[in-house]
Amino acid sequence: MPRSQYAVRLAGGLLFLSSLLFATVSSAATLSIGERIYREGVLPSGEPVQAVLRGDVLVDGTTFTCISCHLSSGLGSFEGTVRTPPTNGVKLYQPLKISYNTSGVLRAPMLRPAYTDQSLAEALRAGVNSSGQALNDVMPRYMLDDPDMAALIAYLKSLSSQPSPGVYDGKLHFATVITQDVSAEEQEALMVPLENYITKRNNQVKVYESSPKLARVTEVMFGTKQAVSMKLSLSKWMLKGPPETWRSQLDEYYANDPVFALVGGITKGGWKPVHDFCEENRIPCILPITDYPVVSGTDWYTLYYSKGYYQEGESAARYLNSRENPVNDEAVVQVVRDSPEGRALSEGFVATWLALGRKTPVTVTLKEGETLTSDILHGLAVKEKTPCILLWDGPEALPALDLLATGNDRPDTVIVSSGYLGKSLWTLGDQAREFTCLTYPYRLPQDEARQKAYLMTKGKMDVKGDAELVLKRTHSLILVLAQAVMDLRGDYYRDRFLDAISMMQDLQAPLYERLSFGPGQRYASKGCYIVQLTKGPDPQMVKKSAWVIH
Amino acid sequence: MTRRIVYALQFSILLLVLGFVGVADASTSYKRTIESYTMPDVVLVNQDGKKVHLKELLQSDKVVIVEFIFGTCTTICPVLSAGYTNLQQKLAPDTQKVRLVSITIDPENDTPGVMKEYLKRYRAKPGWDFLTGSRSDIDKVMNSFNAYVSNKMFHTPLTLIRLPKDGKWVRVYGLMSTSEFMEECKKAGVK
Repeated sequence: MPRSQYAVRLAGGLLFLSSLLFATVSSAATLSIGERIYREGVLPSGEPVQAVLRGDVLVDGTTFTCISCHLSSGLGSFEGTVRTPPTNGVKLYQPLKISYNTSGVLRAPMLRPAYTDQSLAEALRAGVNSSGQALNDVMPRYMLDDPDMAALIAYLKSLSSQPSPGVYDGKLHFATVITQDVSAEEQEALMVPLENYITKRNNQVKVYESSPKLARVTEVMFGTKQAVSMKLSLSKWMLKGPPETWRSQLDEYYANDPVFALVGGITKGGWKPVHDFCEENRIPCILPITDYPVVSGTDWYTLYYSKGYYQEGESAARYLNSRENPVNDEAVVQVVRDSPEGRALSEGFVATWLALGRKTPVTVTLKEGETLTSDILHGLAVKEKTPCILLWDGPEALPALDLLATGNDRPDTVIVSSGYLGKSLWTLGDQAREFTCLTYPYRLPQDEARQKAYLMTKGKMDVKGDAELVLKRTHSLILVLAQAVMDLRGDYYRDRFLDAISMMQDLQAPLYERLSFGPGQRYASKGCYIVQLTKGPDPQMVKKSAWVIH
Repeated sequence: MTRRIVYALQFSILLLVLGFVGVADASTSYKRTIESYTMPDVVLVNQDGKKVHLKELLQSDKVVIVEFIFGTCTTICPVLSAGYTNLQQKLAPDTQKVRLVSITIDPENDTPGVMKEYLKRYRAKPGWDFLTGSRSDIDKVMNSFNAYVSNKMFHTPLTLIRLPKDGKWVRVYGLMSTSEFMEECKKAGVK
């Protein structure tokens, strides 16, 4: 090839590559603008999108973001009397029909023809859909100029446009992560009911396959034929060794088995490596059992039962702040064992205490193995003149607490964690019970004994102690999972899975007084009682606070 | 900035040409009744963490408006709250001449911190309080207004306007435009 011709081709190639690069960058920039409008209601200028609601109510797009109603997946929501339709390109650019057909003969009417870019822009600006009908009054009319409108439409086209991983061979694939430190009984209490649920669900599919009439009726609930016949699979991902090695194990599991979501899971330690893995890969992880969840106001992909020990500390702070005679800032001292439990309890207390406008409390740290003596507690009570000690320590603290009870100058209140004390809390001496309060993040034992719903999950399993606690949580997990799988209605997108859970009704569950959900709510149980023990050989817990303390 | 103004004008013209404003007004439908309610003697907590005796707050010589909402609500609450925002804008600078009260139906999640952030998002001015409390107290309040829902996902658009002259309540079921909302306030005695 002559050099000149080569140079021309090279230049042409470079030009083509640079134009491709420009197009990609431009497209990414456009999508980014559209995403910000969708998620934050903010224009490229940094100003909020302006909108009109109900004909004459002027509103900022920041209070009426698209995501607040159409949710993260863009597939809409249902709340009260309002159903918000999907707003992702895949659905918008198809005619909207009623999505089920029970009769098997009559076709449902078309609700609107497919949108075009032009009719979609008109719908967003003027609130008139592609068939000329006015949209619901709760849909604002957005004042977007052409470039911003184009960016938003480009983003809507990208939203929930590619099926999520983990949906293949007619199955929705899940995995459960369990760490090596979990006992065989607890593993069984999680895996057996979960596997039973999956088997039952898959057996139902076989029934639908053999009965077209039943399948058509079921289609009403599941949304599409594909959803009715979708089977489930569950893998068990065992993590071995120290937490710093978990990430590479998770990456390897995921490379070989790209699941749709993680369900359940247990560890005795922290969940952070799994949490981060899910956040970075955008994999939903619902209701893992851990006392050390990641406490974050922004992370989205993991839904926990509660904030664990952190929540007990948080509730102690709210309790002290809300008492009839709230304690002074100076009157609070924390004694914190330098352990994962102690640190999490202290972290929850301090963060909440400061958020309530209080000052950083005096903190005394107990090293691992250091004995807590009543002299230390007594000394704090005298030296700091504190009427309130938060004692974030385990069962080894009880002798000192009992001794403190027999002396003078004891504080008015000592708060301890029921989770950290475990069963030993019931051995607290009568005198110490007079001034000791406990954080208790579950329904009280005497009320919990009346809860029977989880027995259907238990079946003939012989579970006790910690394994029974796992089983009770698994009961709630299965309820949430079964509902979410149904509510996907054939839209197998990971964000939709979490959106579906966010629209669920509150759950009356074992262990917790209430599990509640909502967009962005990532800790289903928000409560924790402050309790005291009655005196005598068979003590009962008595509530000193509401389930949720404000 | 000029481009924004021009665009806003174009947008207004578009709405007029399409007759959308008219369509919205023409489609307005909300149910309005006059009711008497007995308030429970409960202490709730406002966005600043302060305890509020609900009875005292509501038994005012000002017009009082109550709505039930929650912080992570997707559809109805933003519309109700936008109504409050716009009403306060119209009342400014004397925003306190009407007492606006939002009461959560999700007390588990709606802590004072969450409520404060919510009010900030809606540019709330003095005169607008967001209240939370124990589940049992919130249930009592919902029941006393005949507005009980067992679950937040079942909630409905409801605005309750207290008439200071006789303590009766205007119960509005449905969503109002600002002009309709202002009209109801005028009828209640707001000048």
